Amino acid sequence: MHGLELPNPVLVASGTFGWGTEYQPLVDIQRLGAICSKGITVRPRDGNPTPRIAETPAGMLNAIGLQNVGLRAVVQEKAPIWARWHVPVIANISGESVAEYEQLAGTLDGVPGIAGLEVNISCPNVTDGGRLFADTPKSAATVTRACRAVSSLPLMVKLSPNVGNIVEIAQAVEEAGADCLSVANTLLGMVIDVKARKPYLANRTGGLSGPAVRPVIVRMVYQIASIVTIPVVGVGGVTCLEDALQYLLAGASAVQVGTANFVNPRTATEIIDGLEDYLTQQGIRDIAEIVGAARPPAARPAVSTTA
Amino acid sequence: MDLHRATVTANEQIMPETHVLDLASPGLAKAARPGQFVHIRCGPGWDPILRRPMSIFKIRPDGISVMVRAVGEGSTIIASSPLDSELDVLGPLGKPFTLDPSARRLAMIGGGYGVAPLVALAVEALGKGCEVVLMVGAATADYVFPADELPTDVEYAIATDDGTLGHKGFVTELLPRYLDWCDAVFACGPTPMLEAVARITRPARYGVAGAMRSEKPVQLSMEQHMGCAMGVCLGCVVMTRKGYQRVCRDGPVFPADTLVWEGSRA
Repeated sequence: MHGLELPNPVLVASGTFGWGTEYQPLVDIQRLGAICSKGITVRPRDGNPTPRIAETPAGMLNAIGLQNVGLRAVVQEKAPIWARWHVPVIANISGESVAEYEQLAGTLDGVPGIAGLEVNISCPNVTDGGRLFADTPKSAATVTRACRAVSSLPLMVKLSPNVGNIVEIAQAVEEAGADCLSVANTLLGMVIDVKARKPYLANRTGGLSGPAVRPVIVRMVYQIASIVTIPVVGVGGVTCLEDALQYLLAGASAVQVGTANFVNPRTATEIIDGLEDYLTQQGIRDIAEIVGAARPPAARPAVSTTA
Repeated sequence: MDLHRATVTANEQIMPETHVLDLASPGLAKAARPGQFVHIRCGPGWDPILRRPMSIFKIRPDGISVMVRAVGEGSTIIASSPLDSELDVLGPLGKPFTLDPSARRLAMIGGGYGVAPLVALAVEALGKGCEVVLMVGAATADYVFPADELPTDVEYAIATDDGTLGHKGFVTELLPRYLDWCDAVFACGPTPMLEAVARITRPARYGVAGAMRSEKPVQLSMEQHMGCAMGVCLGCVVMTRKGYQRVCRDGPVFPADTLVWEGSRA
């Protein structure tokens, strides 16, 4: 990631690894490429009513609603813990307005323990009629530019897959000053309770994650990495070495492990081990040799972007 | 708490769709406490994806037992585990029941499958010289937890919805008989049943309505759809007086007077 040296290309995704401390009894967290924190908002949030999660074929829906302790508690209570760690912690931030993103990015800038920012532009934008900042190139760029202006931290912007043309959004975010892209957030979905004849989740809709979404996101990474010049991090259904390799070959420089953490908390460290073995066996000295290797050499600008 | 490879050493069907699995794991046996649970993976694949939480039913020197009701795809896979197969078990997890040394007479209420953690608690309580009444509720006689799975010293009271065995009606209707007698109440089962336990014991705990004169502790083990079981995903929360708390990490056992029931948050 521009401005941030990661020890390896396997990160854990926001919302699936808490504040990093919860899995410490089970996982050697210092071996991770980085930890993307639980989403942080300016004020503490209770989140949505229950049920909040639903299981789907090879995936799950969640509608947690950004329950978190809020910015002040993160700075006072979480960051001092992170500052003692070797593993970089990337703070995931969500705002309801551009001003809130500015406040989050500005406040976290220079705080010991915070190695970078992941700007989640897929949360509801209440100041814009319920639309998402990730919906249009203009709004995505506005948030990115606002964060860039107040923060010297490496800036990773997390895109939404629920858009018509994600490449267009990626380009806009790159031009607005992002150092890196995480592709992508969860896919909007719904489960109907057929007995009750109503949506199962209290929030009605939720975000689909897990292996079920992987082919969709691999395609998006393939498209985006062909167009932008900044690094892309693949996020969606990574459960094993082969999944991670798919993303790398599609053009991702790194991957984030998400839902798989719930099933096997050691997924990320097992992938790190597997990747080391793979590179040795294949005689690959630099992982950059395989990044994007699945793309034809001359495939750059002509990828269709219809979802 | 750790990840364990636990060998299935026994698998017995004790009720329709309900199996008791003995799992060999000295590590689990050493760490487990009544009221805690384990999170079991449904095979090596990713569909079904999530682990299944199972209450600890028995604690033996060499391992634990879980009671598995095969109601869906995941629980059916686990309930069907053959002898000598290995299960991927995360645990023990969550906060256990608390046995106050001064409590000598314990009333326990289990709704259906919710009897599982109360059996482990009853065994521990009897070992400490307590008297135990266990009330269980079920839809019909076929689904009543078999008495021969219980220590003989437990007084057993049964309620069925259709009256085919024991009291006809809700198991919570048995509770008032024991309120004066008991020092503490423990319950596990469906949320409406737990809410009824909280409601029935509330006047007693506050010394109202002529029930109990002194405040008696009531501990409820809550059920909720679970994602990670490690306190990370925040999928399994329940509303408490302190806001949402995680069933997997802050519970599953909560003091009844800390819980806020749906529609009554005030």
